[in-house]
Amino acid sequence: MQNAFEIQITSGAARRAKRTQLFVAALALCTISSALFAGWLPLQVSIVTVFLFAGPHNWFELRYFLMRLPVRFGRSRAFFLTAFTGLGILTITYLSLPLIYRATVWTNEAWLTLLGSWNTLLLAWVCVLALLRGKQKPRSNWTWIIPATMLVAALNWLQPEIFSLTLVYVHPLIALWFLDRQLRRTKPRWLKAYRRFLAVLPFVLSLMIWQLSQTTSLSEDNGLFWRITQHSGAELLPNISSHLLVSVHLFLEMLHYGVWIVALPLLGSLVQSGNYARVLDFRTVPIAKHPRGFPKLVGTILALGAVVVVVLWIGFAVDYPTTRDIYFTIAIAHVMAEAPFLMKML
Amino acid sequence: MKPILLIACVLALVATTFLVVNADVPKPKPSPKETRNYLYSSLEVIPDPTEKDAVLQIRQSDLKELRAALDGVEGSTTIAAAITNSGPRTIIAGLLLCLSLSIGGVWLVRSMRSPSTLSRGQKAVAILLVATATIGVAAFITRANAGPPPSYRWRNLPTALASGKAHQGPIIIQVVPDDAISGGLKLILPMKKQNANGEE
Repeated sequence: MQNAFEIQITSGAARRAKRTQLFVAALALCTISSALFAGWLPLQVSIVTVFLFAGPHNWFELRYFLMRLPVRFGRSRAFFLTAFTGLGILTITYLSLPLIYRATVWTNEAWLTLLGSWNTLLLAWVCVLALLRGKQKPRSNWTWIIPATMLVAALNWLQPEIFSLTLVYVHPLIALWFLDRQLRRTKPRWLKAYRRFLAVLPFVLSLMIWQLSQTTSLSEDNGLFWRITQHSGAELLPNISSHLLVSVHLFLEMLHYGVWIVALPLLGSLVQSGNYARVLDFRTVPIAKHPRGFPKLVGTILALGAVVVVVLWIGFAVDYPTTRDIYFTIAIAHVMAEAPFLMKML
Repeated sequence: MKPILLIACVLALVATTFLVVNADVPKPKPSPKETRNYLYSSLEVIPDPTEKDAVLQIRQSDLKELRAALDGVEGSTTIAAAITNSGPRTIIAGLLLCLSLSIGGVWLVRSMRSPSTLSRGQKAVAILLVATATIGVAAFITRANAGPPPSYRWRNLPTALASGKAHQGPIIIQVVPDDAISGGLKLILPMKKQNANGEE
């Protein structure tokens, strides 16, 4: 009897170890294939990747954030009000920046001052959110965020454009942080392996930089290729090969999409049964299925999100460069939305 | 009596200090603007067997910028130049940096007094981060992250040309007096003589 029990425990442990190995293998495969594709054909793969995954990954993010919303804000009322108000104001002001740029004839310096001001507002918003979150955790001291924010704001004022470019490169990495927190909640056994993978990531990036630093810059013989290289910072960093910049950014973006579209939905409690299709069922979202929840509102939001994804696909098919420009301007909203939800998970 | 004495003392102190710090020195006259007769860009050398003439192509934007530089109008500037040239932004950055260090220092001292809030490791990380950020900013401003010299990008040009491939590298477009060049244009490449093993 005891032997049978021991065998059962051993087989259970072996199964868990095998699943962890499978998880690590999947991570390694995704990372290596992303790095290879990003380094090999950066422009072409970038076009295809954004076309296929930009819209869906936003929909999955929206769904994930809805999953994390409480039915009643309660003690977090101030936090969520600050989060949503700031999100609205910052998004509207950010969207107005290109319009201001086209409507007015400002000097480069005035333009940089405007950009620096917006970046400072963003930092201030994140700082206030962190302080509010810190208040909810009495045993922790989050006041270090004030000097840290001021330090980052100072760097931003030295080079506002470089700060914006840093956001472009840092944002994909935030998804890896979300995955870390999610693993801690749902699959703590995989956390150690995942963190080892995170430790390997800088080496992969270093290898890419080493391999691509001497490559010739990518040709910008059409408007679309020019847009892609500009988005990766080719104009701001003229001494660095645009091939390297686009490849590194694309690699990070591919990891970002992989986390939001594959890893997080699979890990969520919702699809632990193995049925990935249940992601599409809005009634599985806690604030929709709760007796005092908002099923109609959640259903409408997710349905509208799905419509936007389809519209994006059509837009990409009809006029890829313009849709790409519009998408990356509006996408700032999802970049900022990650901040409050990540803080709630810390 | 006391307030008058106090005011007199303050006035005396101000009078002595402004002399020490030369606060009565008039504002210096602005120096005349230097015209910039160069432009940072990149050059691609393409061996094309179908072409009959050697062609030198320049982008309209580069030409505009070069013309603006020659006219004394400020074009787009490099990172280091942008930092040093922008007074208001540098002032705001300096103020924020000063506030950050001050508040950070107060926070560190206070957190060190209350051992419950921060562990030793966290304090070490905080000090390390502040030190790294300070060194980083200094390095950034002094262009210590400038990377390899531009000549490094040109070292593979002979190999590329020999195999009929295009090659690209950074270039400075410079306007020189007429008597400095005998022909129409001169291209100077930063290349060292290589031996048979390919060593410089």
